[in-house]
Amino acid sequence: MTAARIPIVAGKYLAFARAAARRSLAERTVLVGRSVFLGVILFVFSRIWRVVGASAALPGIGERELVWYLALTEWTVLSTPPLFLAIEAEVRSGDVACRLVRPVGYVGAQICEAVGEASLRLAVLGPSAALFALALTGGLPADPRGLWLALPLGLVATFVAILCMAAIGLSAFWIVDTSPFFWIWQKLTFVLGGLLFPLELYPDWLQRVAHATPFPLMCWAPGRMALGFAPRQALASAAEGVIWVGLLIGLLALMSRRARARLTLNGG
Amino acid sequence: MSKAIELERLRKVFRVRERTRGIAGALRGLVAPRTREVVAVDDVSFAIAAGERVAFVGPNGAGKSTTLKVLAGILRPTSGVVRVAGLEPGRDRGRLGYRIGAVFGQRSQLWMHLPAADTFDLLARIYELAPGEYRARRDELVRAFEIGEICEKPVRQLSLGERMRCELVASLLHRPEILFLDEPTIGLDVVAKATIRDLVRERGRRDGCTVLLTSHDTGDMERVCERVLVIHRGRLLLDRPVDALRKSFIPRKRISVVSEEAELSLDLPGVRRLPSAPHRTELEVDLRAVGVDRVVSQIFARARVLDLSVEDPPMEEIVTAIYAGACGAEAGA
Repeated sequence: MTAARIPIVAGKYLAFARAAARRSLAERTVLVGRSVFLGVILFVFSRIWRVVGASAALPGIGERELVWYLALTEWTVLSTPPLFLAIEAEVRSGDVACRLVRPVGYVGAQICEAVGEASLRLAVLGPSAALFALALTGGLPADPRGLWLALPLGLVATFVAILCMAAIGLSAFWIVDTSPFFWIWQKLTFVLGGLLFPLELYPDWLQRVAHATPFPLMCWAPGRMALGFAPRQALASAAEGVIWVGLLIGLLALMSRRARARLTLNGG
Repeated sequence: MSKAIELERLRKVFRVRERTRGIAGALRGLVAPRTREVVAVDDVSFAIAAGERVAFVGPNGAGKSTTLKVLAGILRPTSGVVRVAGLEPGRDRGRLGYRIGAVFGQRSQLWMHLPAADTFDLLARIYELAPGEYRARRDELVRAFEIGEICEKPVRQLSLGERMRCELVASLLHRPEILFLDEPTIGLDVVAKATIRDLVRERGRRDGCTVLLTSHDTGDMERVCERVLVIHRGRLLLDRPVDALRKSFIPRKRISVVSEEAELSLDLPGVRRLPSAPHRTELEVDLRAVGVDRVVSQIFARARVLDLSVEDPPMEEIVTAIYAGACGAEAGA
C-alpha cells in the first residue's frame, strides 16, 4: 500500500466505526440497561466489602478504593461489544457472503465496527461508573490522580478484549458454535484478569500466572489505577498492551487466511 | 465484444462432515471425523460478453449460487479457470470488489437498525467515491428506484420489496461493470417482483453493465435477460437465448381462476382443465395453440371472476423437459 492510500483506507475503516457508533446510539435501551446493571453490581459489592472489611485484606486499601477498582474493571468489560456473536451469526447464516464482495477487509471492518460501538459505550458507561462509585462511597479514592491514567488504559483494555472476541468469532469457521470458547475466555477474564478483586489479593504463584496472560490488561490494568497513582505501572501495562495487540493481530491474520480457505456458505 | 465473464471447466467440491447418531457416534466423530465430498459445480464452462444480461437458472441445490459466489471471489474454485472483468476472483478479490456489485436475495448488505441512506454513505467511503460524484449517483438512483422516503426509514421497518429496491441501489452506487443478482425476487409478491425485474432490466440497459442473475423463477429470466444458462445437479444443461428456451421448453402456462360459479368450462383449443375444486378452476394453456390473452378474455366473458393468476410451470418441470429433450436428441443421434 502506498503512503497516499493510507488515509483513504483508514477513512474506510473509520466510516465503519462511525456507522456502528450511530447504530449504538439508535439502540439506547442497551446502553441504559448496561448502566443500570453496572449500578447494581457496584451496589452489591460495596455492601459485601463493607461487611467483609476489605482493609484487612490489603493494607492501605479501603472499601472506597475497591469500589472504584470494580467501577473501572466493569466499565471496560461492559463497554466491550460481543463481537464474537456478530461474526458467528454471519458465518452461520452465510451473511458473510455480502461482506466479502466489498473491497474492504472483513475482520478489519468487524473490529472497527466493534471499536465504534465500544467508543460510545465507554463514553456513556465511564461517567455512569464514576457517578455510581461516588454515590456509593461518598468520595474519590485516596489518590485520585490514578483515575486519569485509567482512561487510556481502559481504551487499551477494551481494544485487547475486542481483538480476543474477534479471534473467538473467527473460530466459527471451524466449530460453528463459539460459545464454549467464549465462556472459557470470559471466566479466565474474571479470574486471571482480576475483574472483582485486585490481583494483589491473589497468592504469588497465581499472580505470576495471571501476568503471563493478556487477561490482567483487560481488567486489572485500568482498575489498579484506583488503588493509587502508579505511572510506571501504567506505562508497563501500556507497553504490554502493545505487545499483545501485535500478537493478537498476527493471530487474526493467520486465522482469517485459513478461514477463507475453509469457507462454505449456507444456501449454496 | 469483450468478455466480462469467462469460466472454463469450473469444479467446486465441498467437503462436509458426516454426522453419526448417538453419543458413541459423536465421540467417534471427535477423534476420527468422517467426511464426504459434495460436488456442487461440475465441469461448467461458459462466457458472457460485456453488457449481456444472462439468467443462470436451475432448481434448488443446482449449483447456481455456488457458481455465482466463485465468480464474485467469495468461494475459491476446486479446479478450473475463472476470469471476471479480466481478473481472477480468487486472487484479486480486493480489486474485483470495485468492479462488481452483488445482491443476495436472502441476505442483506444494509444495516438493519439504520436508514438505508446511512449504508449508502458508508458504501461511498468503501468504494472511494468522490463526494460530488457519490451524491449525483445516489440522487439519480434514489429517483429511478423511487426510494426517496423509504431510504430515510430504518431498514428493519421496510417491506421485503422496499428493502430489495434499497439493496439494488446499494449495489449500483459505484457503477459496477458486472452485477451479480442471487435470487433477487425470492419471497416477493407479484407486484414487487415485476417492479424489481423492470428496474434491473432498465438499469442494466442504461448503465451498460453485465448482469448475471440466478433464479429458480422463470419469470425473472423472461423479463430481465436475453440469454439463459440452465444448470442442474452442478452441470450446465443448456445455453441459449431466452426466446428459444421459451419456445422449446416453456410452451405452457397455468391459469388459476376463483369464480362465483362452481364450474367454469372453456371451449378453446390448447386449453386443458387440470384437477380442480368447486369455485376454483385450474387450466393449462398450450401457448403454441392459443394466447393467454384470448383465454383470459373468454374466462371473463363466461364467469364472474373473484381472483385470477397466470403462472409459468415450475423450474423442476422445465428441467425435466430439457432432460427429456436432451435424452431424445441423444437417442436420435
